[in-house]
Amino acid sequence: MFGLIGHSTSFIDARRKALELGYDHIAEGDLDVWCSAPPQLVEHVEVKNPSGKIIQGAYIDSCFVPEMLGRFKTARRKVLNAMELAQKKGINITALGGFTSIIFENFNLLQHQHVRRTTLEWERFTTGNTHTAWVICRQLEINAPKLGIALNKAKVAVVGATGDIGSAVCRWLSARTGVAELLLVARQQEPLVELQKELKGGKIHTLEEALPEADVIVWVASMPRTLEIDSKKLRNPCLMIDGGYPKNLDTKLSGSGVHVLKGGIVEFFADIGWSMMELAEMDKPQREMFACFAEAMLLEFENCHTNFSWGRNNITLEKMDFIGEASIRNGFSTLNLKSQLQAAAA
Amino acid sequence: MQAVQSPEVNSLAGLSGSSTELPDFTTELYKDAYSRINAIVIEGEQEAHDNYVAIGTLIPDKAEELKKLAKMELKHMRGFTACGKNLGVNADMPFAKEFFSKLHGNFQQALSEGKLTTCFLIQAILIEAFAISAYHVYIRVADPFAKKITEGVVQDEYLHLNYGQEWLKANLSTCKEELMQANKANLPLIRSMLDQVANDAAALSMDKEELMEEFMIAYQDSLTEIGLDNREIARMALAAVV
Repeated sequence: MFGLIGHSTSFIDARRKALELGYDHIAEGDLDVWCSAPPQLVEHVEVKNPSGKIIQGAYIDSCFVPEMLGRFKTARRKVLNAMELAQKKGINITALGGFTSIIFENFNLLQHQHVRRTTLEWERFTTGNTHTAWVICRQLEINAPKLGIALNKAKVAVVGATGDIGSAVCRWLSARTGVAELLLVARQQEPLVELQKELKGGKIHTLEEALPEADVIVWVASMPRTLEIDSKKLRNPCLMIDGGYPKNLDTKLSGSGVHVLKGGIVEFFADIGWSMMELAEMDKPQREMFACFAEAMLLEFENCHTNFSWGRNNITLEKMDFIGEASIRNGFSTLNLKSQLQAAAA
Repeated sequence: MQAVQSPEVNSLAGLSGSSTELPDFTTELYKDAYSRINAIVIEGEQEAHDNYVAIGTLIPDKAEELKKLAKMELKHMRGFTACGKNLGVNADMPFAKEFFSKLHGNFQQALSEGKLTTCFLIQAILIEAFAISAYHVYIRVADPFAKKITEGVVQDEYLHLNYGQEWLKANLSTCKEELMQANKANLPLIRSMLDQVANDAAALSMDKEELMEEFMIAYQDSLTEIGLDNREIARMALAAVV
């Protein structure tokens, strides 16, 4: 069985969903009630791949909402409790979605392996970052040419280049795509220099320097909500892949030359009878999902019960190849511009 | 995982997730709060002992087994008494008696009416879940002596929880209605008991929010175990909120 640990995108959404599901006791509660609410296994799901293999899955809502980010202890408990529930339910491989893996990483939850009577078995969990990184790379390779951007002439800026996903994207782009130039953007200089050494290339840029030069911008960084981007200063055409969470780049940009693509999203070849992706505001909630969630499904389909994506900067090209092949074989495709434009027109 | 794009990110990035710091066990503030919390725990174990023996009178063929459980509770009581002594604290027993009085009254009432389901709900679900959750939170901030004792107790308490669960599970078809009613009457008491000790618990570095969450986890787990579904549990849990 695979598992997904997710959460609502806001407190208001969380209450609405809880009411729909019949969890009146927390739906009616204020934020304090939610801070004390246990994780809930809200949905079981069955998924069949193109060759007919069926796997079982479960969706766990951690009852975390982004409004709790300022409450360090609460956020930590939400993640650990949801992971404990996943393990107690005997789930083989669970993806940490949304803020879950970010909290896990930033709060260094590796030192909290004991949750009540349970010793968390890390091999049962994955951040899903390998699949996310692979999907973002494929989205770039597929969609840039559609806009007339030739990769061998293109400058690609990776904003958040030193993060787990960002560094994997850089590795792939420099080894596999022959993009003309990689522009590396991140807050801290030291890891950037390290990355540049590892890649044996790439230019270290500030965000201000990179944006007007880049034909493609891959955004996998933390971005303050106050950041303003002047689309007039961007190249035309410009492909912007929004790999952040939550995905809000499209609200910051307008202008005919800029094409924003939701990054790290995949589409399954058939409808999945679940309701949970509606929470994530997917255009096609029966088929679309975060690539990190899909990674748990892929690992289950492939009987690969291991913490495939774990820790920081462990994503190799070989791992991306493995998960990419599994992704295609099991009926996933990347979200592309064409389908987005069609959806908008529909 | 996705990267973060939110205003909270800076505070998120700045936190290192260091382990919880232990309180100073020697301050008057700590000891004063401990005199009440420790008394509640001692009284709770005594009540548990008495309740299991009493339940045995309703199911005579299980009386011996229940006596064994009850004996374990007395062992716990002695352990917690030692915890207070170790810190040089006198447990405030009159406070604790008063603290349990309503729940105690409800249990006695049910016992006199032969309502076994209600007795099990009060003792084996509510009080046990309350105890286990409080112990879990306490272990994280307890002094080394009390920590060791409490860890041993928690292992035992799961056995008790299981005992009541097993009975309720086996009799669910006939006892569900009474279970729901008893829950409606008694879960709010647990909630108000928690409110009542929140300040003292805070002096021991135990967050009310965390206590409530731990309780809800233990409560939800045991109701799941006896065979109730998510919606039924949600309906029952509602009694803690309204």
